[in-house]
Amino acid sequence: MAFLLLGTVAAAQEMADTLRASVVSSVSGSLLTPQRITSERLGTVTGVSEAIRRFTGVQVRDYGGVGGLKTVNVRSLGSEHTAVFVDGVQISHAQNMQVDLGRLNLEGLTSISLFSGQKTSPLQSAKEYSSASALYLESAGPVFSRGRRDNLKLSLGAGSFMTLTPGLSWEHLFKSGVSARISTDAVSSKGEYRFHVHDFRQYPDGTVAGYDTTMTRTNCDLTSIRAEALLFSPRSGDASWNIRAYFYGSGRGLPGPVYKKGGDYPLSLDRQTDRDAFLQGRYYRSLGDIWSVAGRAKLSFNHLEYTDFPELLPEGSPARYNYRTHSAYLSGSAMARISDVFSLNIAQDVQYDYLDADLRGFAFPGRFSSWSSLSARAGVGSVEASVTLLYLGVWDTFLTAMSRSGAYRDALMPSFVVRWDAAERLSFNGLAKRSYRMPTFNDLYYTIVGTKTLDPEDALQFGLGAEWGLVHSGSSDLDVKVDAYRNRLKNKIIAVPTSNQFRWSMYNLGVVEILGVDLSADYSIKIGRGECGAIVRYTFQQARDRSDREALTWGGQIPYIPVHSGSVNVFGDLSGWRTDITLFATGERYTTSANLPAYRLSPWTTLDAAISKNLSIHGNDLTLKLCLNNLLNEQYEIVDNYPMPGFNCHFAVLVSWR
Amino acid sequence: MKKQALLVFSAVVLAMVAGCQKDETTSRDADLAGVNVAVGEKKGAFSKLFVLNEGNFQKNNSTLDFLRFSDGNYVSDAFGSMNPAVVQGLGDTGNDLALNNGKLWLVMNGSGYVHVLDAKDETLLASVAVPDPRYIAFDNSHAYVSSYAGAIYGGDEVKGKVYRIDLKTYKVDGEVEVGSQPEGVVVSDNSLYVANSGGYNYVHEKTVSVIDLSTFKVVGTLEVASNLHYMAADGQGHIWVSSYGESSWSQDSEGNWIQSMSEPMGLYRASYYSMPRVVQAVKDVHVSCMTKAGEYIYAIGNAAEMTGGYDNTLYKIGIRDMSVTATSLSKTDAAKVGNPYGICVAYETGDIYIADADYTGPGKVWCFTKDLKEKWSAVAGMLPAHMALY
Repeated sequence: MAFLLLGTVAAAQEMADTLRASVVSSVSGSLLTPQRITSERLGTVTGVSEAIRRFTGVQVRDYGGVGGLKTVNVRSLGSEHTAVFVDGVQISHAQNMQVDLGRLNLEGLTSISLFSGQKTSPLQSAKEYSSASALYLESAGPVFSRGRRDNLKLSLGAGSFMTLTPGLSWEHLFKSGVSARISTDAVSSKGEYRFHVHDFRQYPDGTVAGYDTTMTRTNCDLTSIRAEALLFSPRSGDASWNIRAYFYGSGRGLPGPVYKKGGDYPLSLDRQTDRDAFLQGRYYRSLGDIWSVAGRAKLSFNHLEYTDFPELLPEGSPARYNYRTHSAYLSGSAMARISDVFSLNIAQDVQYDYLDADLRGFAFPGRFSSWSSLSARAGVGSVEASVTLLYLGVWDTFLTAMSRSGAYRDALMPSFVVRWDAAERLSFNGLAKRSYRMPTFNDLYYTIVGTKTLDPEDALQFGLGAEWGLVHSGSSDLDVKVDAYRNRLKNKIIAVPTSNQFRWSMYNLGVVEILGVDLSADYSIKIGRGECGAIVRYTFQQARDRSDREALTWGGQIPYIPVHSGSVNVFGDLSGWRTDITLFATGERYTTSANLPAYRLSPWTTLDAAISKNLSIHGNDLTLKLCLNNLLNEQYEIVDNYPMPGFNCHFAVLVSWR
Repeated sequence: MKKQALLVFSAVVLAMVAGCQKDETTSRDADLAGVNVAVGEKKGAFSKLFVLNEGNFQKNNSTLDFLRFSDGNYVSDAFGSMNPAVVQGLGDTGNDLALNNGKLWLVMNGSGYVHVLDAKDETLLASVAVPDPRYIAFDNSHAYVSSYAGAIYGGDEVKGKVYRIDLKTYKVDGEVEVGSQPEGVVVSDNSLYVANSGGYNYVHEKTVSVIDLSTFKVVGTLEVASNLHYMAADGQGHIWVSSYGESSWSQDSEGNWIQSMSEPMGLYRASYYSMPRVVQAVKDVHVSCMTKAGEYIYAIGNAAEMTGGYDNTLYKIGIRDMSVTATSLSKTDAAKVGNPYGICVAYETGDIYIADADYTGPGKVWCFTKDLKEKWSAVAGMLPAHMALY
C-alpha cells in the first residue's frame, strides 16, 4: 500500500516535471521512449540523415551525393508513414509526402528523436498521433552567459566534392526576457565524385570474369541557402512560446541513375530549383492545477521548378515544370490533469493544402484536413497506459473537365500504449496502433496516371519492447533495449498498367507483412574527467510481399529492405577531444520482391570517424571538427544505379563569442 | 565541347572466360547452364529462341536470354555470361532485336547503342552509337535504324531520323530526316518504309515515310492512320503497318480519366508504288504486338480496350486475302498470360511464343502450339518483349 502510494506520488511528480519539460521541448514525457541523439553527439555527424542512420529499425534511402534525396523508412512501412516534425510542427508535403532529410540542418538543434509507433506526450497536437512513426527535430533555446546579451557564432566548413559551408548565427536577449536567434548558412558544392562500376560473375568451372571501371558522377552540384529567425519566450512565467520564420532556397543538378550511354551524351542535365518558406509558432500555457493548453500554427509555401532538358542538345527544346504548394495549419490542444494518475488530452488540428502546377490537364487540387484526437492516460502503480482515438477527415477538391469536384476520405485511428516499470531500471512496453496515410496529390491527381478513387494506405502495428539498465554504477552504465514488432501494411499504393498498357495508374494493391526485431546496447564509462563507450545496434526485418499469390513476387522480401542491418559505434571524450567511430553494415537487398540473383544488391559496410576539439579562449569557444566518411572507400549503392561516394571528408571551424 | 557525363578512366578486366578451346562445331555458349523447360526439339529448324528483355527505364537491366532447343534449357542473361568484360552489359531499354546473316542486332533505346552479336555464341562484335534508336531493318549492304533523335516528351515538335549503318564496317554512314518519332521500319523492293508515330505530339502523325535506298532520300509519304507503329512487308508489294489509333484523355464528372477513341486502332495494308496508291484497313484488329511468319501476320491486342475491359486476343491475318482469325486468349491455355508484350511465331510448326511482362517483377516467356495449347514457359528478365528464332 505504502509502495503504491509512493508510486503515485512519484508519478505525479514525474507528470509535473514532464509538463514543465514539454514547455521547453515537445519530445519529453512520452510513454514510449524514443531513440534520441542529443546535441553533443550531433557534433560528430555531418547531417541529419547521418544521425538517423544510427537508429534501429530505420533504413535511410540515399540517392548519393551532397544534393541527393535522402528519406527515412521506419520499420519497413515506407517513408510516407514517417512524419517529420520541427519544433513540434510537421513538415508536410502534400504533393508526395517525402521529406528530404538532406535539406534539414543540424545547426541549432538540441536533439533528434525517433518515435517508432506512438508518441504520447502531454499537450501534443492531434497530428502527432496520426503517423505510424515520427521524427522530431528540436531546436535549443539560446543560453546567455551572465551579464551577456549577445552571442555570435561563425562557422566555416570545407570538404570533399569542392564543398564549402559557411554559417553565421546571432543570438540576442531582449530586456523583456524574450530572446532571438537569426542564423543563416549556405552550401556550395560541385558535388562530383568518382565511383566504381563493377560486375563479376563466377562460372561453373570456377573462373571469375567481369569488369571494374571508374567513372565520375556529374551534374550533381548543389547551391543552397538557409536563413531563419527565431523568437523565444522568456524562461520564466506560465506561458512559453516560440516563433520561427524560415527560408530555404536551392538549385541543384539531378544526376539521375547511372546506366550505359553511347555517343558522348550526358546521362542527365536535369535541374531542380526549390524555394521553401514558412512561418510557424507554438504556444503553451498552464491554467492552474488542472488545465493547460497549447496552440500551434504554420503558414508555408514551396516552389519546385523542374527543368527537364532533352538528352540531346541542341535538337530539342527544354521542358519546364513548376509546382507550387501553399499550406496553412492551425492546432489547439488542451490537457486536463484530473487526478495525479489520470489525465486527458484533447486536440484539434486543421490544415489546408493547395497545389498549383503548369502541367497539361492539371487538377489543381486543394485539400482540407481535420484531425481530432482524444487521449486518456492513466497510471496504476508501476503500470501506465494510454488510449488514443484519432479521427482524420480529408476533403479534396479538384478540377475536372466540367467543374470543380470533390471527394471525402476519412479514417479512424485507434492506438494503445502500455508501459510497466517492473523494477527501478527495467521496463516493458506494448503498442497496438492502426494508422492510415492518405494518398498524396501525385497519387490522386497526376495527369492521366493518378487515380481519384484511391483509399488510404492502412498500417497496423503491434509491438513489444523492453528496456533494461543492466549496469548503473556511478562510473559506468549499460542499457539494453529490445523491441519486437509485427506490422501489416494493406492497400499499399502502387503503380500498375491499365487495360491500355501504355497508361499506368495507381492502385491500392500492395500488401506487406513485416516481422522485426530491434536490439541496442549502450555502454559508457567515466574515466577521470573523460568518458568513453560503445553502442551496438542491430535490426532484423522480414518484410514479405503478400500482394499477389500468383506472382513471382509473392512472399519475397520487399525492395530495398535488408533482413539484417546494424552499426557499432565507439566514442571517447577526453579534455576537450572527442572522437567517434561508427561501423555501419547492411545486408543484401533486392530491387524487386522477386528475390532472384539478378535483382540482388550487394551488402555494404562503411566506416565513419569524427574528431573534434573544443578550445576555450578568454571564455569564447573555438571548435575544430573533422569528419571522415567511408574510410574504407566502400563502393556501394543504397538505391540501384545510384552509386554512393567513396571516402570523403569535411573539416569545419566554429567560433563562438558568448 | 559538351562534357561527358561519364568518363571512363580505366577498364580492368581481371580474367577472361575459360572454355574457349572447344572444337569448332559446338557453340561456345553450349556451356551456359539454364533452367530446363523440357522441350527437346532437336530436329527443329531452329537452334535457339532469342529473347530480349527491355528492362526497366534507366535501370540498365536489359538482358538477352535464349532457349536452346537441343536440350530445352532456358538461359538467362546470355550476353552478360558470354561478354563479362563489357562495361555495363547490354545497357538500358532494349527495344528491338533482329537476325541478319548470322548476326544478332540489338537496338538499345535508353543507352543509344545498336549492338551487333555473333548469333552463334552471343559474343559482341561491335557497338554502334545511335541516339534514341527504336527499330531496325536491313537490306544487303546496310542496317537502317529509326530514331527519335532529340525529341522530348512535351517539347516542341522534332523530326526523327533514320540512321544507316554499313554492314561491313559497323559505322554510321548516312542519316535522313523522316516524320516525328519514327517507330517500325521495313525494307521492301529497294525502299525503306518508316512508320511515323508523332507519339510525343498532341496530334499524332499519320504517315509512312518512303525512302529510296539507292539515293537514301525520302521520295514520298503514304498517309495511313494515326500513331503508326509496327511494320511488316509481305513480298507481294505491300507493306503492313499497325496503328494505335487516335485517342484523347478526358475526365468524367468524378474526375476519372477516360480514354476516348476518335479513330480506332488497327492494322493497315498499303502500297506506295501501285497506281493508284492503296491503303486498306483490316477491320477489328487490335495490335499491341505483332510479327510476320510465313503467309500470316500474327498480332495480339486487347479487343475490349475501347470499353476499358480485358480481352486479349490473338489475330491471325492472311497476307494474301486479308482474312482474320481472332481467338480470345481467355478461352485457351494462353489465358495464363498476364500481359502479352511480344509475339514470335515459328512458321513451320505454327508454335507461338508470347512474352509476358510483369510490371513488378521478372516476366515470362510462354510457348503454345498453333491451337494455343501450352508447351512450356520460362521465367525471363524484366519486361521480355522482343524475340527472334535462330
